[in-house]
Amino acid sequence: MKRLLTVLALAASILSIVLAVLPVSNLAIIPAIGALLFGLTAFYLSKKAGQVKKIIQFTFLLTSIAITISIYKSIFDKTEVTDTQELIKKENETKEEAIEELESLDLDELEIDDLKIE
Amino acid sequence: MRLSVILLFLFTLFTNGQNTAIGTNEKLTYTASYNMSGILTDIAQVTMQTSSIKTSKATLLRLKCNAATYSKWDNFFKIRDLYESYVNPKTLTPYLYNRDINEGGYYKAMKYTFSHKTKTVKSVQTKKNNNVENKTISIGYGTKDIVTTLYHIRLFDYESMINGDRKSFTIIFDRAETKAQITYLGKETISTALGKKTCYKLAIGSSSNVLQGNNNNLLWLTDDANKILVYAKFKIPVGNGELKIKSASGLRN
Repeated sequence: MKRLLTVLALAASILSIVLAVLPVSNLAIIPAIGALLFGLTAFYLSKKAGQVKKIIQFTFLLTSIAITISIYKSIFDKTEVTDTQELIKKENETKEEAIEELESLDLDELEIDDLKIE
Repeated sequence: MRLSVILLFLFTLFTNGQNTAIGTNEKLTYTASYNMSGILTDIAQVTMQTSSIKTSKATLLRLKCNAATYSKWDNFFKIRDLYESYVNPKTLTPYLYNRDINEGGYYKAMKYTFSHKTKTVKSVQTKKNNNVENKTISIGYGTKDIVTTLYHIRLFDYESMINGDRKSFTIIFDRAETKAQITYLGKETISTALGKKTCYKLAIGSSSNVLQGNNNNLLWLTDDANKILVYAKFKIPVGNGELKIKSASGLRN
């Protein structure tokens, strides 16, 4: 039982670290909670048996690092759009092409010759 | 009395479907979030913008929508999508539609040229490696592209609708016509980035599998003269998410 909980705590803490460094850092909180629960239970059982393994403390360390990264990113990371030059260029190109295309259309057919925006 | 009823009826006929909501310099910015394991994560920014386009023969309205992933996602799945439509500024009848999508390395461009007289759409599809495909599609009366439809739903008179009332329309997407309908679900006051807004709550559904469920895809349009979309919830085959307004400028009313 102790071993199983320790393995689960380790797996959950590694998962939380991986998620914390990815853009989905806010998801790291879910395995982090799991890692803490498994780790604390394993720690309690180990202490009762009189021998606490270092690996349990290591999972606590990993989990706390994951939570710190996740909180830091949620506070300081900016949600902004960058690298839009290509999109802007594309917008201008399609606009020019569209105007040419619209010029070549039969506007009588479109019945818009008297249109003006109010 | 009878005359006033007739006049009112004629006025309703005349004004129904006329653009009184969309201006020529409007810019709406949204944040698109995706539900991951129950946690909403901001994925992309969606911008809907209108502008006036002058040709030698007429003045048209350009409806432009673009979607771009936030920089933190760009290394994983970069999206740079552009959708635009050139429409009659009064009736929002589309004449030209462009779609240029670049999603995680997948590229596709689509152009529709509408001919309302012959009820056809000439389409040009371009994929990677300049793989071009031309096709002419027959369309029904009132068929619109997806961008025009997004704006067109703002022209409906929701004040005269009661809960459960429906409006149907046809959308041409991926060179096929799709029937869609919106159901009016009443008014609701919600908190948005623009403040508390009383909104028309609408459920949107389609005959295709793009939108899942009956009342899973919901739109909230402000109940003022602009009827701008301030919030949307959607459920698609790959998950669910929401669209929240960030800013609005250049509104007509």
